[in-house]
Amino acid sequence: MPEAYPLPSNLSSATVTNTASLLRIVTLALISGAAIASRLFAVINFESIIHEFDPWFNYRATRVLATKGFYEFWNWFDPTAWYPLGRVVGGTVYPGLMATSGVIYNLLHALNLPVDIRNVCVLLAPGFSALTAWATYMFTKEMKDPSAGLLAAAFIGIVPGYISRSVAGSYDNEAIAIFLLMFTFYCWIKALKQGSALFGTVAAVFYFYMVAAWGGYVFITNMIPLHALVLILMGRFSNRLYAAYSSWYAIGTLASMQVPFVGFQPVKTSEHMAALAVFGLLQIVAFAQLVRSHVSSQQFQKLLFIGVVAIGILGAAAFGIMTLKGWIAPWTGRFYSLWDTGYAKKYIPIIASVSEHQPTAWPSFFMDLQFLIFLFPAGVVVCFRQLRDEHLFVIIYAVMASYFAGVMVRLMLTLTPVVCVASAVALSTLLDTYIDPTEPEINDDTVSESGASTASAPAPGANGTSHPTTPKKTKKAVPPPQSTSALGQIIAASRSSNNKPRPKGIFGADTRLMVVFNAMCLLAFFVFHCTWVTSSAYSSPSVVLASTNPDGSQHIIDDFREAYYWLRQNTQEDSVVLSWWDYGYQIAGMADRPTLVDNNTWNNTHIATVGKVMASSEEVAYPILRKHDVQYILVIFGGLLGYSGDDINKFLWMVRIAQGIWPDEVQEPSFFTPRGEYKVDDQASPTMRNSMMYKMSYYRFAELFGGNAATDRVRQQQLPKVGPTLDYVDEAFTSENWIVRIYEVKKEDPLGRDHKSANAFSQGKKRKRTKPAQRRRAIL
Amino acid sequence: MPNRWRTIPFLLSFIIQSLAAPQSFENTAIVRSVELGGVAVHVTTTFAIKALEPGAKVYTIALGRQEKEKTSWFEVKVKGQQNPLLISEHPYAYESTRNYHLVDVTLPRPLTANGTLNIVLEAVQTHATTPWPTTASQKEDQALKFTADLLVLSPYHTLVQRTKLKALTPRLISFTIPKEVQDFMPDTPASKSGATVTYGPFNDIPPSANENFIAAYQQPVTIHYFHEQPVLEILKLTRSAEISHWGANLNIQDDIQLHNAGPALKGHFSRLDHQSQAFYKKPAPHALPALTLHLPSGIRNAYYYDLIGNVSTSRLRVAPSPPKNSKTKQYSVLELRPRYPIMGGWNYTFTLGWDAPLADSANWDHATGKYMVEIPIMTPITGAVVNNAEVKIILPEGATDVEFTPPFSALENRVSTHVTYLDTTGRPTLTFEYKDLTVMHAQSIFVSYKVSLSAHLKKPVAVATAFFSLFAFALLGRRINLTIHKNKVL
Repeated sequence: MPEAYPLPSNLSSATVTNTASLLRIVTLALISGAAIASRLFAVINFESIIHEFDPWFNYRATRVLATKGFYEFWNWFDPTAWYPLGRVVGGTVYPGLMATSGVIYNLLHALNLPVDIRNVCVLLAPGFSALTAWATYMFTKEMKDPSAGLLAAAFIGIVPGYISRSVAGSYDNEAIAIFLLMFTFYCWIKALKQGSALFGTVAAVFYFYMVAAWGGYVFITNMIPLHALVLILMGRFSNRLYAAYSSWYAIGTLASMQVPFVGFQPVKTSEHMAALAVFGLLQIVAFAQLVRSHVSSQQFQKLLFIGVVAIGILGAAAFGIMTLKGWIAPWTGRFYSLWDTGYAKKYIPIIASVSEHQPTAWPSFFMDLQFLIFLFPAGVVVCFRQLRDEHLFVIIYAVMASYFAGVMVRLMLTLTPVVCVASAVALSTLLDTYIDPTEPEINDDTVSESGASTASAPAPGANGTSHPTTPKKTKKAVPPPQSTSALGQIIAASRSSNNKPRPKGIFGADTRLMVVFNAMCLLAFFVFHCTWVTSSAYSSPSVVLASTNPDGSQHIIDDFREAYYWLRQNTQEDSVVLSWWDYGYQIAGMADRPTLVDNNTWNNTHIATVGKVMASSEEVAYPILRKHDVQYILVIFGGLLGYSGDDINKFLWMVRIAQGIWPDEVQEPSFFTPRGEYKVDDQASPTMRNSMMYKMSYYRFAELFGGNAATDRVRQQQLPKVGPTLDYVDEAFTSENWIVRIYEVKKEDPLGRDHKSANAFSQGKKRKRTKPAQRRRAIL
Repeated sequence: MPNRWRTIPFLLSFIIQSLAAPQSFENTAIVRSVELGGVAVHVTTTFAIKALEPGAKVYTIALGRQEKEKTSWFEVKVKGQQNPLLISEHPYAYESTRNYHLVDVTLPRPLTANGTLNIVLEAVQTHATTPWPTTASQKEDQALKFTADLLVLSPYHTLVQRTKLKALTPRLISFTIPKEVQDFMPDTPASKSGATVTYGPFNDIPPSANENFIAAYQQPVTIHYFHEQPVLEILKLTRSAEISHWGANLNIQDDIQLHNAGPALKGHFSRLDHQSQAFYKKPAPHALPALTLHLPSGIRNAYYYDLIGNVSTSRLRVAPSPPKNSKTKQYSVLELRPRYPIMGGWNYTFTLGWDAPLADSANWDHATGKYMVEIPIMTPITGAVVNNAEVKIILPEGATDVEFTPPFSALENRVSTHVTYLDTTGRPTLTFEYKDLTVMHAQSIFVSYKVSLSAHLKKPVAVATAFFSLFAFALLGRRINLTIHKNKVL
């Protein structure tokens, strides 16, 4: 066989195997290092701090677990959240994340390594991203070969779509969930391939871990049955499938029901019914197979027909009746919003108000996945070429995840792994084809001249690859993806003598070089893109803002922590703080004060109450505030600094949510100007100007400009010269850049007047003194 | 049982001072000057003494009951000399009804008859002032009240004495005009000039350290004055100093609970007012926007954080380590800004720490084979008093023969074990507890100990053993085949 470039021929098979194995380990270690390192931008640029909102709750819960022990955490009732309702945290939380950090924390302390629990929490996500890279490697290895696996591991290690959820400090469920997702899928594929109950059980255990860790476990709950169903429908039912699915479903479901927050959902809610149905179907199919092996073909066909019809009718009827009776819960609102993107905005504004629940914008696909997004379909097509059982899995996964990623920004995360796997398969196939030195035969009679292949025993294993056979080679100058693809070639090499030289192929080294060089450029640009996106877009803690001084040094805007720490140090420990729900977890975590609502948005009415307080006038809001024992109100105001994520910009969602409960008292249109604009300047509607939110945001803001026109830098509007006055609340604290403003709710007037007339009375005296002067001026 | 032993010297000394001492000296003049401040007030009393008998060596100083309770530090020197004189306090008992407390000072040499000497008593009183009015709004001034006894007590006859109260600004609100002092002074007993209020001179005062005199003539005088610095106190200071020979490092970490003890903020904090005050450079006297601390020279990796993370609003200028044996003291200056300006009555807790080269504060003695380390008790914050302090000195693992010399005795000290990074047996730890520390207390504890070579090597050996056993286990694990039956090739 002619070759495009020479290969060393005096290497023993063992040397090649060992070298490849070592290279694989080293490459995986380097990929892990890269995955961890690229997530540390946030720690280096800022500090080891918990990011955003939800992680603050997870961190707080973990601290309880670490300091008080697991049982205390399990029974933890938090009276400070959702004041005055409280929250049973142990029963309403996915404890997997906290338990993981707790175990790591205790392990380190047992080794006399007194690491702070905060650092464990901050670095958990980067640590698990290294494990995710490994799990993806294992998964892709099952799809194609180890070389594709290494490519996939490298992709998932640095792809921004995954980094966005797993930078250091982003201590959220997703931090460990993607690893669990990939590893469960790997175990499932392994179980399916081998028909192994052991791997089925391992898959079930990791499924349980996943259930304990993330609400997104439903994705696995439906992906695996869907795969099984497709296999049955394609006539690919086998005992391997039966053993794998039955062991996974039975153990996994029982285990998942041990998580208190999940409880009986796996047998009661519609989301879990598919898994149960497929489990039943598998039993029937297996039974049918058994019967078929014992009765004649004609009888069996009759039996089959009657059986299928009867079971179908019975099953559907049972499902319908149980749903009607309420034994099976119907689909939840969040589920509907997956199919109809407008649903949430109409019926559950609270879900729609979260930015990560919005439909994905098209550019964000490119931003999060870069060139993988167009390699991805190619990878799926490559899967069709062989279409083994596991390839079907990738295809189904790709279709489902693509749809979901289009519906919600957040679900980009579940798409990312399959994109990495499919792209790695595609790219690996490309490299295999173009690095392979074998030149196509023009003359069919030429005998293979390849002296490199030594082994001759045919090994028709499951790992067969579609690329042409290649003699082994390990060349130092070749970059890692290529050198690792040598392993696939070794396997292939062992079978090379069995293969006939192909008529199709690539001639010459220049063609190869061109394509390979192009692919390398793509990979290099991908690395640059990932680093840039990670450092610029995904590494901001959002608790701390950064700006640049005129001399180029970094200036930290730390208003949030300033205000939270003030609350923590200088207010009564039981003072209730009212704020919009976004800041609930942060207040609980950093200020350690009770809050009315927080990011665990379980009680829509309570949130609407807060919305109503913000949207109403002082007179209306005051009794509500007093009834809820509110002592402090916290608003976020970005007008001075130009911080656009402030409460005035979120205000319309508060109005909408309040309107959902009190349609007579709060109406969205009254907050707009007659021309339908949302304005805060002179033309703002009276309702807007009288609302608590407006007043608290702009209280004394105009005075800051010392007579000049006050400008709101977020909305670029000029404010009225005379700012709003407050009667029922006092300004208690304002942070350095005015981002956080805290107001204290006044106690009832001791004389029983309402605060407005009390204030008017005390100011009236002053006014008497000044009024004549004004009049005189007016006359003159 | 120990009580009885303790009472014997008490009785003895009582007899001595009541019988022998009064005759031996005469005070020709006593001048007490009080530098009014925030939480800490410095009192300097100069006694011009004359011996009435030859060979008089022990002079007795008397302090009033209130004075004694407020005084957290005092020192007696011969005027113009550096070394403090040896003092021995008479046992002080709260339950006794005595309104005075006696301290014996051993003079450097016995005085001849009619020999004279000037001795100076320097004392720092803590928590002696109270804010009045107790609340002040952001735009108001801060005023404090200080109360002292009118007369300096002495067991000897005094020819003349006067008391001067010095405020930092001449703006005084009021001061007490004492009554019923005509016995010692014919005309006005109090006068003000500039920022100083002078009581006296009072002439010809009989021995006053007795209950009769105190009941008859002693009276409190109060001065009410403006104070333009924030009144700070540190409710609790926890310092831990960790010595590492492997890293040649001395890590010092302070956990500080800062409290503004000035008048509580009336109403609420207005950022607008605060910013306009800062703009017009007229900051509120009771607001603390920033602190300047003098840290040791040559420090590295300074950190400043609080319960919710790093505080990025501070600046540190590090001075290089001084050469060994040089006398000049240089400081690294830390401009520390709390997260928010600390107004009257507000609290702020934070943690401040740094690494310092161990060589700057440690020595190895060839003769005894012992290390000697100097650990400062506190980093003084100007004008602030540390109400409670706990100083923890963590010695290296395996340190033996631990000895320590504190500059002044602690309320309590104890030895315990502290287990930290990869320790096997833990590190010996000395803990000292103090109360009411002032700038004067910013001295050092000296600790000496031995560390054997085997103790030095303990940690590397432990870590190496752990890794070795891990690898050995992996080595064995790779080579044992646990499969029950032969799998088909996949």
